Amino acid sequence: MTALLRRYGTFVAVALVIGYFWLELPSTFLTGRNLLNISQQMSMLAVVAATMTVVMAMGDFDLSVGSMASLSGIMAALVFISGGSAPLAIGVTLLAGLAGGVVNGALVAYVGILPFIATLGAMTVFSGLAFRLSGGQTLFGDAIPHAFSDFARGGVPLFSTGLIIPNLTLIAGATIIVAWILLEQTVAGRRLYAIGGNAEAARLAGVPVRPYRLAAFGIAGLGAAGAGLMYASRVASANPTQGAGLMLDAIAAVFLGQSMTEDGEPRVLATVAGVLILGIIGNGLTQLNVDSYVRDILTGSIVIAAVAVSSYGKTRAQ
Amino acid sequence: MSLLSIAGLSKSYGGVAALRDATFDVEAGEVHALVGENGAGKSTLIKILAGAVRADAGGIAFNGAPVSISSARDAHRLGLRFLHQELNVVSRLSVAENLFLGRAYPTRFFGLVDWGALHDRAQTVLEGFGVANIIPETILGRLPTSDQIIVKIASTFVEDGSGLGRLFVMDEPTAALSSKEAERLFGVITELKRRDCAIVYVSHRIDEVLRISDRITVLRDGVSQAPIPTAGATRASLIERMTGRAAPEANVAAATSSRPAVSLAVRSAAGLGLSDLAFEVREGEILGVAGVGDAGGDRLLKCLFGEARTGEISIAGHSARIRNPAEAWRRGLAYVPGERRSEGLFLSHDIAFNVTLPHLGRLARLGAILDRRAERATTLALGRRVRLRSSGPRQKVWRLSGGNQQKAMFARAVAGTPRILLLDEPTRGVDVAAKFEIHTLLKEIASAGASIVISSSDHEELLGLCGRILVINEGRISCAAPASGLTPSGLLALCYGARANGPRPLG
Repeated sequence: MTALLRRYGTFVAVALVIGYFWLELPSTFLTGRNLLNISQQMSMLAVVAATMTVVMAMGDFDLSVGSMASLSGIMAALVFISGGSAPLAIGVTLLAGLAGGVVNGALVAYVGILPFIATLGAMTVFSGLAFRLSGGQTLFGDAIPHAFSDFARGGVPLFSTGLIIPNLTLIAGATIIVAWILLEQTVAGRRLYAIGGNAEAARLAGVPVRPYRLAAFGIAGLGAAGAGLMYASRVASANPTQGAGLMLDAIAAVFLGQSMTEDGEPRVLATVAGVLILGIIGNGLTQLNVDSYVRDILTGSIVIAAVAVSSYGKTRAQ
Repeated sequence: MSLLSIAGLSKSYGGVAALRDATFDVEAGEVHALVGENGAGKSTLIKILAGAVRADAGGIAFNGAPVSISSARDAHRLGLRFLHQELNVVSRLSVAENLFLGRAYPTRFFGLVDWGALHDRAQTVLEGFGVANIIPETILGRLPTSDQIIVKIASTFVEDGSGLGRLFVMDEPTAALSSKEAERLFGVITELKRRDCAIVYVSHRIDEVLRISDRITVLRDGVSQAPIPTAGATRASLIERMTGRAAPEANVAAATSSRPAVSLAVRSAAGLGLSDLAFEVREGEILGVAGVGDAGGDRLLKCLFGEARTGEISIAGHSARIRNPAEAWRRGLAYVPGERRSEGLFLSHDIAFNVTLPHLGRLARLGAILDRRAERATTLALGRRVRLRSSGPRQKVWRLSGGNQQKAMFARAVAGTPRILLLDEPTRGVDVAAKFEIHTLLKEIASAGASIVISSSDHEELLGLCGRILVINEGRISCAAPASGLTPSGLLALCYGARANGPRPLG
């Protein structure tokens, strides 16, 4: 009984919540349009959560992803303002995200600082940079090319249903697929899980721990930068607090997903489920006109409950 | 009447019976040994006594009165005290603080701790155990393991000095101790007997069991046999009772090298506190490394596996610069660390994960994409080779017994057909039957041409397996003695620094 509760408790609870929303909002909730809408809203979080899963599979945390997302939005806007093209802006931003991540990785793997502390420091530095570079203001206006901002509005038609899959959703989907292949199907992914399981044993078994740590943090930085670009495209502007909340939501999504896995490890598909749960519940509550603060309280409680049930089940099983 | 008596105790895990109708009793002032292969039911029995697991059937009685133990607190209240292999002390606190863990400290006015009184009382308790030399203010983590164990035992007697009617369950207490330290522990056990305590002594070390216990109960496949008085028992008879087969020959001839090519040569290597390391190993040879206490046999192996600061290492005649374990695996070395739980295994993952990790590149498609079928097939084949008993490659490693976990480590080591196998305490915490199987496997590996270097504190093991044994003393190799003609006490004497008449290490 406890094992069942542990594995499927979250499913059941979420199904109940969705069922409730569907009853209350029969015509606007479980529609194709609404679901695609949710997927677009959650696309940024999905990208960050997927790359965060890579870092968490290794047993580490990256607290700087939210600030990096804000910083990248600002950097892209600045490139546009100084006359750069969209490809240039994208390239520079992604490179900066990668570099930031690599710095985190170097601090953790080669200098030996605890990931929590290293990325906490990085978070503050990135945030400070974002404010400095933007003068503390939102950057918007004509400098941002229409092609860039239209991208977020556009999409690919879904066969003949009349529905359009948003471009942002496609990007999130692509990121998820790449992250999934990396973690589940490659030697590199297996080694990352080994480091997460027992870093010293992994080292003695021939896994080059330090380069892998570096690479994983680099990937997280890249993901954060990508999310920043997606935000900037979506709102056709960049402000230095844009990414706030991404970090905690991403970690919550990974933990939520982890509570549903069989072995209690962070897994990409489970994280995606976590993201969707957060998105669906948020959307349902918004449509019911629930106060946004109450939304936060409810979402947080759900995450706590899910993780608690799965931990309870785990300690009993052993 | 017995202090503790168990009757008809049974426990099954998902259809597999771990204990079947087990019966056991201990009297005050007695040391009653509990022996049996891994998987025989010893740990299940201990867990039931500790309140960690509930029995499916059967009863426990204390001084004749039936009791129920459903939590650690129940066990504690009954007077049961457990000494596990993981010590469960707080290393960062002082000896006195550990003695008084969970108990009220003596206080002065306003509830301020009276450290003077605390240390005095701690001193008194320690004196009662013959360890007056331990200073109560010392941080416990700085003391040698044997002293930590004694402090842990002593803490039982702090609440009431009498300590009457206590039952100690000691699980492999000497596993991490040198022979000198084990002697101290035996002294403490004698003192405990004098205080009318009872001791359940669980150990794989037959010599100790024969020496220190009054009665021995053998568990086999979850069933307990009637206790036998230690006086009439012999090693062979115990093994026969434990395994149901006649004891395997202790003296299967050690593999001698038939191919004289040198597979590993070390010159002036230094690292991890060792220096001037120089020796050679030939194909097919099993070389032992012995020492007393923390002499450094394990560190010598680590030096070969990437921790050497300086020196020349050559493999099969080619000079090799091994900077990290990854390079070592690539060069045909394989390593089985001494602490499999903390240094070797990924307990929450399955056997295939654990066994294939260093070899993924070879097993994967295009060197990068995992091929799970190949992994499972390899793991199955290796499992058969090392006689690993499990429910399949997908079983989680934490579920395996100590002996099978060790075999999983061996499967990992031999998967790549290594040229040189480095083993640190290959049969520590492994039951008798698995130990024999591992020794047989090692001889097979050596006769196929690989070289094996074994660091072990089990001198009998070294003498039975190796052709030569290096002795480490004061951070250096003091001599290399041929194993034939060497007795365990002779080897021990060499380890303590006696002059050897043997050839120099390069042999």
